[in-house]
Order: sequence, then C-alpha cells, then structure tokens
Amino acid sequence: MLQVLLTGLATGAIYGLVAMGYAVVYYVTRVINFATGQLLMASIMVTTVLSMHGTPVALALAAGVATSTLGGVVVYFLAVRPVLRFNRLSFAWLVSTLGVGIILESLAAVIWGTSSLPFPNLLNGRDVSILGAALTWQQILTIGIALFTVVGFEIFRKRTLFGKIGMAISSDPDIASAIGANVTSYAVVAFALGGLLVGVAGILVGPLSFANPYLGESFGISGFVALMIGGIEQPAASMGGGLILGVLTILANTYINAQASDWFPFVVVMVVLLVTPNGVFMSGGAIKGIWRRFQTSRVEAKS
Amino acid sequence: MTDAVLQIETLSAGYGRFDVIHDISMSVANGEAVALLGPNGAGKTTVLRSIMGLIRHRRGAIRIAGTDVTKMPAHRVAKGHAALVPEGRRLFLNQTVEDNLRLGAMRHRRNPQKVQELLDSVFELFPVVERHRHRPSSALSGGEQQMVAIGRMMMNDPTLMLLDEPSLGLAPLAIDDMTRALVKLRQQGRSILLVEQRVDLALKVCDRIYVLSDGRIIDEKRTGELGDDGRALIDAYLG
Repeated sequence: MLQVLLTGLATGAIYGLVAMGYAVVYYVTRVINFATGQLLMASIMVTTVLSMHGTPVALALAAGVATSTLGGVVVYFLAVRPVLRFNRLSFAWLVSTLGVGIILESLAAVIWGTSSLPFPNLLNGRDVSILGAALTWQQILTIGIALFTVVGFEIFRKRTLFGKIGMAISSDPDIASAIGANVTSYAVVAFALGGLLVGVAGILVGPLSFANPYLGESFGISGFVALMIGGIEQPAASMGGGLILGVLTILANTYINAQASDWFPFVVVMVVLLVTPNGVFMSGGAIKGIWRRFQTSRVEAKS
Repeated sequence: MTDAVLQIETLSAGYGRFDVIHDISMSVANGEAVALLGPNGAGKTTVLRSIMGLIRHRRGAIRIAGTDVTKMPAHRVAKGHAALVPEGRRLFLNQTVEDNLRLGAMRHRRNPQKVQELLDSVFELFPVVERHRHRPSSALSGGEQQMVAIGRMMMNDPTLMLLDEPSLGLAPLAIDDMTRALVKLRQQGRSILLVEQRVDLALKVCDRIYVLSDGRIIDEKRTGELGDDGRALIDAYLG
C-alpha cells in the first residue's frame, strides 16, 4: 500500500505541476490556457532533440524549460490578448488557446516527426527504499520539486509585494489597475510562469514518457482534471488535486486493471464536482468540511 | 481656470458603442472640493471611471494638473494623478487591512519612509483602522471598510481624490464619521471630486456642485448659494 501511495504521489506531483500551470494563469487572468499540455510537450521535445544533437543535458533542460516559458508568453499575445482587447468579457480564448495548442502539436509533428524519441536520463542509480517501498531518485526529485514549488509559490504570493499585487488583480483587476498595477504585465508574467511550471513538469516526466509531439494532450487533460479536483481558485489547491489524482490513478491501476487510469480520473472528477463543485480544497470544500467537523468534535469531546 | 487641478472638456464616454455622458465640461481647482450630484443612472460613476482611465472609449479631453490623461490607462493615471474610492468600496477582501493600505501606496514602493508617513496619516485620520490593521478586510463592518477604502486612496497621495458614493450603504453614524474625515481632507487642501446622492453630505464637504442628468451637466453652483439643506436643489433636480 505504501508503494502505491508513494508512486501515486510522484505521478500526482506531475499532474499537480501541470494543474498549477493552469491555475497560476487563471488566478491572475481568469483565462484557462488550453495549450498548457502542448507547452509541456514543447519542453520535452526541445530538451530531447537538443540532447540528441550533443548539447549538454543541463543546457538542453534549461532550453526546454525556457521554450515552454516563452511559449506561454506567445500563447498570451497570440491567443488571449487580442481576444480580450476586442471584448474584455469574451470567452473566445476557450477556442483560441485550444487552437494554438493544436497548431503547436502539428508544428512539432512536422518538425520532429511523429515517432517517440528517447528523453535523456536525469538521475541514474539504484532505487531508494522507504519502509519497504521502492522509489527512484527521479520520483523523489519530482515530489521534492512539487512541494518546493507549491511552498515557494505560497510564500511568494503572500509575503511579497509582487505576490500581493497578483492577489489584488485576482480579486478585482479593475481596482488593481486603479491603484497602479499594470494588469497586462502581470498577465504576461502569469502565462510565463504557467509555461515554466509545465516545462519543469515536462523535464521531470520526460524520462518516463519518452518524447512525442502528441503527449501534451494526455498531460493537459490530466492536469485539468487535477485542477478541477483541487479547486481552480488557488494554485496551491490545484497541486493538492494533482496529488489526489495521482494516488487514485495508481490505486485504480493496481486494484482494478492497468487501463483504469484512462477512465478513472474522469469518474473522480465527476464525483468531486457533484459533491464539492469548487474543488476539495476550496472554501467550503470537502477537506475543509471534514477538518472543521474534526475540530468541532474535539472541542465537544473536551467539554 | 489657471489653477485647475482637473479640467474636463467636452467629454463623451460610455460602454461599448453607447455613450453614457455627453459633452461634459467641468473643473476642480487646486484645493477645492467639488460634488457631482445626480439621480441614479445620470452617469456620475462614468465620469469618475473616465478620469481614472477605466473606460477606454471616449471623446474630449481630461487634464490633471496640466497633464493630458485622456488616453492614459488606469495604472498610469494612478501614478499620482488621481486615486479612486470606488462605489461599494471594493477592497481586496482576500488581504488584510494593512495590505490593502500598502497596495494603495504602490507608486511609492521604493520609498518606505514615505509609505510609513502616509500610513501614519491614515491611522491619524482613522484610528479604528489602525486597531484592525492585521485583520482581514472582509472581517470589517461597512463603515470600517469605507475608511480603509479612503485610506487606500490617501496612500497614493494623489493630486486629485475621486470618491464614488462613499455614503452608500452606510449606517448614519458611519456616514457622520466619513463626512468628518472628508472635511478634514478638504481642510488639508486636498483637491476632491465627490460623486454623491446625499446632498447634505455634499454641502458639508464641498465648495461647489455640478448637477448631472441623463449624462449632461445641467447646473453648477457654489454650495453657499444652496442654503443649509439644499432643499431647492433637491426639489429642482433630484426629487
């Protein structure tokens, strides 16, 4: 069981990073970037192709992450800003970001072909045993980076002026701009940060998935499901959603069958949306409700 | 007017393709408090949003202390030209009172001493805000939230202060507190443009009033001409 849990957490950390990529963008701009999965793919493909051509792995990894980061900014200027300039309340970005994602995917297939390419190995060495459960260094690194990212993001959001301005924009963009916040600059930063997060997710999952122009779609969908499970309003909650999804997916694979991960996430998200539509970690969500009941019962037990 | 802090010339503005205000011309002199009165839907808020750069489409010209801000986006207008207390307060409810105030001083972020001075001046005007400085702004009463909203505007230290219906939804005692605070700001020599529906409040705070109806200025008077309660004005225009 511990093995399933830890493997699930490692898988979920990837989903969580992708979900955070969505959430950071949504947090600041109220836009969902449906090209997020393809940005992950871009990071994997660029890293793979550069390392195949002899570029040092560290440099290739940096280039991969830089590509997805820059890609996020390109998506904003190509698919979001023109739409919102035309009509601030338009939802046309639903289609335009999806369109840019499909174009990125097709472009990658044309440039690098549709065959899977081997991603460079990041961490070699033996598995690590934790209370009898075996984890690779790659999985430990993935969980560590996910936790570091979510903690770092929360500290940055709540303790720095930049983060607080982001919170203000999230809460009321009109008034935030009336106090001096350049909302467009923050939107650019949010799209870049979203791209950075999925770029990191890409280089972490690359060694397990190979490099293929079409792999963005499945990670994009899983990340979106994680976003819905955790809650779209808080980037940290979306990481929680990713971890839950990862553990449940591995549980389904282990105890139902090997194909269960294809459909099980959708069952989970449907149940979550029925029970707690804002996500399990959001205000009034299931986890908070359970915690509150637990605290109430403790107080009652003491009295 | 040579010492005009705000000069609006034949301004038309609105939402989408429709103009809400038509050919408005008005001014606020340095150190003057001016009220913009009018019934619901007259276009008062649209005037303030236009000055603040929150409405893009418009004709005419807006100058603040000689600077043309007509085409400026809001975040540039907020660099000291003007600051706004919006209708309904619109605090950042996910942040503390002090965070809301400090965000108002965003343009002074490289000058911590100035920010501290401004914070002290807000706490001097509203001691209750200092007591609640670490509380979430969502936990405050309507009157307290309005004080924070005015404090947030003060933190910008703008040339022109814009207030949109600050009395809206407040209890009578809170309105009295807020009126006293606005009178103090005026006595400090601040230039104020106040949008209000309460004529009594406007008369206590302001030197001059404009009356707006159906998006057009239909009258302008000094408050001294209107008596203590402004009854004639209410009967004539605001019913």
